[in-house]
Amino acid sequence: MVIDNETIQTATPPPVERLAYSIQEAADLLGIHYYTMYRLIQRQKLKTCRVLRGKLLVPREELLKLLKTDLR
Amino acid sequence: MNYYEKPTMQQEQAAAETKTVFAKHLGQFKEACDVLRDIESNLSAIANDALKAALLSPGRVIQTDDGAEWRHDVDLSKITSICHRRTATGMEFAVVECLPLKNGEMKDVLNSGHNLREVLQEFMRDQRQVLNLWKTDVTAGIREHLDEKFPGQNMDVVVESFEYKLSRAISETRAIAQSQSRGIRI
Repeated sequence: MVIDNETIQTATPPPVERLAYSIQEAADLLGIHYYTMYRLIQRQKLKTCRVLRGKLLVPREELLKLLKTDLR
Repeated sequence: MNYYEKPTMQQEQAAAETKTVFAKHLGQFKEACDVLRDIESNLSAIANDALKAALLSPGRVIQTDDGAEWRHDVDLSKITSICHRRTATGMEFAVVECLPLKNGEMKDVLNSGHNLREVLQEFMRDQRQVLNLWKTDVTAGIREHLDEKFPGQNMDVVVESFEYKLSRAISETRAIAQSQSRGIRI
């Protein structure tokens, strides 16, 4: 069977980049305890937004910003 | 909601399923409450140990991200410790958090002041606020999960039972601290 480039492109669509993550997902990505995540939020080191029913979401940009911070 | 109404079989099933789905959250929440309760119940001893350490031992230097230098006294938890530094107006104390991240360590002063007891009490207040923030978020997550898993079903009783358990865990840490400060044993 011959698979041309067009077929491969159709079979594997490009991954959709997430705009925001739940606290659980963000903590797992950063490799930290959930408690630490909420502490960062409470101290406004990490900005979040509230979605339907009041659930917190961390924008992807905020996670990247935290990781880019010049840490000593 | 009527708290005396017996939950339906579906609500009981939903509660069991939610407990599994949110097991990591609930487990870590309990862990955090336990740590906080231990600190609260030993606050006087911790403050004494920190004060002794500040007076007797130089302690290792911790430079926080704002450039300030503190001397380590005692650990409060795995990532927080009580530190001190000498200033023109006397000894200053701080609760410093050393947070390991994938790209390095964030070292931040959480609370500071000249009165160690007040610094620790302020720290505890802040930690309770964090637990309340956590509780609100998990409850919202549970509600969202149940709405999606059991559309059209009334799962208020399930959501409220989890919310109640989380609230009780937070308030119990305070009750223990208050009762111990009055010499009452629970």
